[in-house]
Amino acid sequence: MNVIETKNLTKYYGKSRGIIDVNLSVEQGEIFGFIGPNGAGKSTTIRTLLALIYPTSGSATIFGKDCIKFGPEIKQEIGYLPSEVFYYDHMRVIDLLKYSASFYNKDCTARIKELAAVMELDLHKKIDELSFGNKKKVGIVQGLLHEPKLIILDEPTSGLDPLMQQKFFDLIHTEHQKGATVLFSSHILSEVQRLCDRVAIIKEGKIIRVEKISTLKENNYKKFSLELPAPIASQYFQLRGVNNLLVKDNTVSFLFSGDINLIINKLAAIKLNNLFIEEPSLEEIFLHYYE
Amino acid sequence: MNIYLHELSMYRKSTLVWSLAIVALVVVMLAMFPAFAQDAAGVQKILQGYPAAVRQAIGLNLSTITSFLGFYSFIYLYVMLCGAIQAMNLGTSILSQEVRDKTADFLLTKPVTRQKIMTAKILAALTCLVLTNICFFAAATIMARAVNTASYSRQIFLLLTATVFLVQLMFLTLGILISVLMPKIKSVLSISLGTVFGLFILNMFGSTLGDTTLRYLTPFKYYDPAYIIKHSAYETSFVVVEILFIVVAISASYFLYARKDINPV
Repeated sequence: MNVIETKNLTKYYGKSRGIIDVNLSVEQGEIFGFIGPNGAGKSTTIRTLLALIYPTSGSATIFGKDCIKFGPEIKQEIGYLPSEVFYYDHMRVIDLLKYSASFYNKDCTARIKELAAVMELDLHKKIDELSFGNKKKVGIVQGLLHEPKLIILDEPTSGLDPLMQQKFFDLIHTEHQKGATVLFSSHILSEVQRLCDRVAIIKEGKIIRVEKISTLKENNYKKFSLELPAPIASQYFQLRGVNNLLVKDNTVSFLFSGDINLIINKLAAIKLNNLFIEEPSLEEIFLHYYE
Repeated sequence: MNIYLHELSMYRKSTLVWSLAIVALVVVMLAMFPAFAQDAAGVQKILQGYPAAVRQAIGLNLSTITSFLGFYSFIYLYVMLCGAIQAMNLGTSILSQEVRDKTADFLLTKPVTRQKIMTAKILAALTCLVLTNICFFAAATIMARAVNTASYSRQIFLLLTATVFLVQLMFLTLGILISVLMPKIKSVLSISLGTVFGLFILNMFGSTLGDTTLRYLTPFKYYDPAYIIKHSAYETSFVVVEILFIVVAISASYFLYARKDINPV
């Protein structure tokens, strides 16, 4: 069964484009990545699924039920973590979480304590005393405290330090093991690669491709930037797997995918002043991937 | 129920401040009554010096100002002004506050219908207004006993006091309607103060001109104290118009809010 299914989902904000004809199906029990640059329509899609905004045309179902018509019923089983979290500032963390829990037909007290312990969250502080990262933790606990069957994450990792990101991923992983379906939106390819089974790539409001992560991994691009003591002929880097090659005086940059040893050997043979190997930005991947 | 209680705690402080302000206003102004009543003739003479237009605009009635109910109906116009601002603030902010503080995403992704959210919020706002009015009524009653030696009609006193709440209901409704009609509200205060003072000034104009159709446009004019004192009743046509306005505006607000896109600010 598909947990989420959208059919030609379209949203215009007045005349400006939100999303156009988005067709997605997220299967039960998978972690589905949703990736695209900022402003591509990830949040618009998610907000429509949550009935925060209404589609211009098309429809979407969650658990087989129309997400607008049965919104309140469906949301019993949805946990949502927005990219930016905002809560009632004057409340204490525990009061906010209790308020959040009061909407669900179950007792979440033990679960709140458990999640707060994992995320190292101080329950007795006031919300407005919290740093951005700590507010995010409140968001995570708030989104997971009712053990939802569907977890929707909209760029969840921003503001979390790497250690907390790891803990957060572990949490999501555990929920997934317990049978939860996850929709994970992000603009960082590496975290989607790490977590997801499949990924939809959205660009300018349209889904341009749905891929298995395993396929994407075969196209595992790395961005190389080198500084050399002396200029070098661009032919030196002409080998399979090198793309977007740019040689300018003493600096060289390119994207590489393929056998990493090949390129390392190549680099070992020349003298370098400096070397950066980075995750390419999505745009850079898109540039090549969809040529 | 959870939303209702949460909303109540959100507006606890402002309700307390408004109640105290209104109580203070009533106490200070009614405390002046004995001075007015003692030298009735002298006071009337002084007030006669004001141009008639000004007297009408500020709600001063020469023949009744020195009686307790007349004086009361003069000062309660200002209590009503306070109350109107409170109600309008509440009405405008109960829904828009969530959007402005970006907490709407939290609330609206919970398993609850927008109708329920709205009902809980309206009930919470009504509770705040009722509490304020209880404070107002208590203060007015105590002060009336303290300062008034002559007897006065309890029924008329009650009718006059209750008009504050009735006018507040209209402003609460107006605030809610405005908040669902406007796509984004940056500042509640500028909208609520603007509307309330605009209508208050219209009320002053209406008093000066004696225009009856104008009376339907400003809530301040719906309950004319002179009429209430004379007839011990409200004017039916205005009660009917108020009820119609509230029913239509609140229904429209429910309808619009259920279909409104909640966009990040």
